[in-house]
Amino acid sequence: MPIQIQLDRMLLKRRMSLTELADRVGVTIANLSILKTGKARAVRFSTLAALCRELDCQPGDLISYDPHAGDADDDLE
Amino acid sequence: MQLMRTLGPGSISSLLKIILDVVYVALWIGIGAVGLGALSALLLSFDPDLLGSFTMNFNGDKLVRKWPAIIALLITVSFYLAGILVIVSRLRRIFATLMAGDPFQPENVSRLRVIGLALAALELIRYALWGLSLWVIPGGTRVGPTLSTTPWFSVLVVFVLAEVFREGARLRREAELTI
Repeated sequence: MPIQIQLDRMLLKRRMSLTELADRVGVTIANLSILKTGKARAVRFSTLAALCRELDCQPGDLISYDPHAGDADDDLE
Repeated sequence: MQLMRTLGPGSISSLLKIILDVVYVALWIGIGAVGLGALSALLLSFDPDLLGSFTMNFNGDKLVRKWPAIIALLITVSFYLAGILVIVSRLRRIFATLMAGDPFQPENVSRLRVIGLALAALELIRYALWGLSLWVIPGGTRVGPTLSTTPWFSVLVVFVLAEVFREGARLRREAELTI
């Protein structure tokens, strides 16, 4: 997936654990792990807004685009 | 107003699942009985003395002792029942997912494809049965073949349904991975 989520970096910057972020955002740890490991297919605006609110950042700080990264579309076939 | 739920526990699906369970057991018994009959006929065919005293009547016509044809008929009937068993067993598993309220599982795609193939095979076996019945039963031309397009139409519908389920499974997977 060329779109990558930089959740690890932001969590490190804010010295926050994944469990704490999950509690604050209202998302399960399992789902946040899916997001962190780049397995997610889509992110709801509401989730993104909650992540930005709790991590005090902009969507661009969390999401990056790498055209050379593999495409995960085949996983759904 | 929805009178009764169609999915989930205690729904129409669960009622149909129970009916399919009963049919499934009955089919196994039927296949066992026909298989035993075919085996008995096969064993009897090796002893010409026993055959001499064995005749059957069918609608007033004497069923002539064409043992190879009778054995072939019984084997074909057991294949036909086995085809129905394949369909019922796959339907049971599909209805189990409906009872669980989660129909768009990837496994249901292959189950529906198998049902489609089994329906096509059953139709071909039915033609074979008709051919054999002409051979076994004197005056069997009265048992006309019903060359209907409905079974083949059903086969195509089931294959299309399988693709619908594939799309449903894909959407389900996407929804699961949407955070």
